Amino acid sequence: MIKISNLTKVYRTGAISVTALKGINLEVAKGSMVAIMGPSGSGKSTMMNILGCLDRATSGSYIIDGVDVSTLQEKELAKIRNHKIGFVFQTFNLLPRLTALKNVELPMIYAGIPSKERRERALKALDKVGLADRIHHRPNELSGGQRQRVAIARALVNNPAIILADEPTGNLDTRSGEEIMDIFQQLNQEEGVTIIIVTHEREIADHTRRIVHFRDGVIIKDEEVLTPISARTTLAALPPAGEV
Amino acid sequence: MDILESIKVALEGIWVNKLRSALTMLGIIIGVAAVIAVVTIGQGGRAAILSSLESMGTNLFVVYPSSRNATTPITRQDLITLEDVEAIKNIVPTVKAVAPTSYLSIMTQVGRQKEKTTIICTGQDYKSIRNLELVEGRYFTSEENNSRRRVAVINEELAKTYFSGESALGKQVYLMNTPFIVIGVVKNDPSNALGFGGDPPKEATIPFHTGETLFRNLRIQIEGQTYSKEEVQETIDQIVKLLHKRHRNEGKYRGYSLDQEVATANKILGIIALIIGSIAGISLLVGGIGVMNIMLVSVTERTREIGIRMALGARRRDILVQFLIEAVVICLVGGTIGTILGTGGALAVALIAKWPPLITPGTIFIAFFFSASIGIFFGIYPANKAAKLDPIEALRYE
Ligand SMILES: Nc1ncnc2c1ncn2[C@@H]1O[C@H](COP(=O)(O)OP(=O)(O)O)[C@@H](O)[C@H]1O
Ligand SMILES: [Mg+2]
Repeated sequence: MIKISNLTKVYRTGAISVTALKGINLEVAKGSMVAIMGPSGSGKSTMMNILGCLDRATSGSYIIDGVDVSTLQEKELAKIRNHKIGFVFQTFNLLPRLTALKNVELPMIYAGIPSKERRERALKALDKVGLADRIHHRPNELSGGQRQRVAIARALVNNPAIILADEPTGNLDTRSGEEIMDIFQQLNQEEGVTIIIVTHEREIADHTRRIVHFRDGVIIKDEEVLTPISARTTLAALPPAGEV
Repeated sequence: MDILESIKVALEGIWVNKLRSALTMLGIIIGVAAVIAVVTIGQGGRAAILSSLESMGTNLFVVYPSSRNATTPITRQDLITLEDVEAIKNIVPTVKAVAPTSYLSIMTQVGRQKEKTTIICTGQDYKSIRNLELVEGRYFTSEENNSRRRVAVINEELAKTYFSGESALGKQVYLMNTPFIVIGVVKNDPSNALGFGGDPPKEATIPFHTGETLFRNLRIQIEGQTYSKEEVQETIDQIVKLLHKRHRNEGKYRGYSLDQEVATANKILGIIALIIGSIAGISLLVGGIGVMNIMLVSVTERTREIGIRMALGARRRDILVQFLIEAVVICLVGGTIGTILGTGGALAVALIAKWPPLITPGTIFIAFFFSASIGIFFGIYPANKAAKLDPIEALRYE
């Protein structure tokens, strides 16, 4: 479903130019769950932004469901971001003045969904991430883990085929991180959502079946994980929240 | 995303930034209030002035000695005489009525009370020429004029001052220590409403010949009326020509008609209204620039929000519309408040100045139209700036 060939990205800031991606080739099958690892500055975020249609590649091709993204206009890119992709950021990127519910409704507003249905679907999505009792809270009234769960609810509310998560557990404690991974695993296994997660933690990456290693803008290793960690099991072994 | 949703999103944006939105509105409120007040007061004042001028009858004319077009000053030989007035009455066929008239300002007295009063010495036709309405009693007759009777017709204002509430008829008013009997009370002359509010002047009218015995060397001006408005200018010309012939002089008399006055007043008032209106308009412009200013700040401050919205699927158009609607709503709400304040202010002024309150739906429509236009005009640049942001750069903005 995702096919990247010879992708490069060059950032030009004044006289200096940085080549963040140097010819990436990658295929991600529908319904798979993939981790991307690599040291800081190796081009992971750059890659994710291009996959999320937030940024354009300098050269090479990116084909999603048979459509070459480089040929698309801004309007169509917005539509892909809205319908096909759910983005989860390291820093959550919730709108601070809106409640959890309103934040989750946002993508549906741009999808033109009527307000009654929007509310229903947002409630369902928040329930799915275990926040049914926090719908009227604003981001600053929620913990980091809860904020990230709101962000995930927002990412999945338009039923995207792909969820892209750039270091989603980077700002979270172990338990919250595990909870996030649990949600991703459930989404992947039960609903067949394709999930791509950037992380620099091996333990997180080990929740997936495949780890792609980046360094200096190239893929250096494509690794298969034979026995992925189940977040469910790990969580059951951890002491309950509040006692850590 | 449809327009209704855009409006909702914009309203939310305004609501979460209440204080800033209110301050932005202030500029628009002041601007619109100023424009509405000025335009409305202007229209009311203009209508008041014109209607009072016209109520006097547009076939009115006045001829008086003036050295403006002469090479030498006015001398005794140039002054208009009663014989001149008689001659005009007999010779100029378009003259319907004419009265020799003199205005003086003196102190009058009733009991111990003294009041500064305008004394009008004139003929019995003055009443019809000036279109005066009697409140009580009667006007003096030509017999009373010829026999120099000491009778006076006072206006309502003077009657109110001296005889508050009581009938003035038969009462005595002293002019230059001479008692005059009040035989009539007339309504205040509407032409005096030209003054900006305040009390109308106190007036007492006495027969011209009686006035001659009291005051020396009355300077006559001719007040008259033609049969129709169209004859006024021609009549003035004839009278001036006749006076020059009788006095064997040149360029010593001038005349003006009320019709002319109305036209001139209308033109001047129009220009004044335009100037003041433009000044008020500038304040609206400043308010609009304020909106643009705040919107630009707002766009910068909310760069990240814009990035997030774009990442979630907002098209550039959605962002543009959101910010544009915010600007328009701020301007419309400000415009509404401004319209209410401006209208209130104008009504207050109309009440004090005793003008007709002229609030036309047109004025309000224009205020609304202007507010919305200002919102769009000054909102489009910031909104466009917001829409042009690159999603990834907007997201990275700290
Ligand atoms: N907007 C940008 N302008 C210039 N250089 C950038 C920009 N974003 C990233 N880079 C550079 O590109 C390289 C890859 O960055 P990034 O993709 O963020 O790495 P990672 O997410 O793997 O840490 C880095 O050297 C970084 O400095
Ligand atoms: Mg990164």
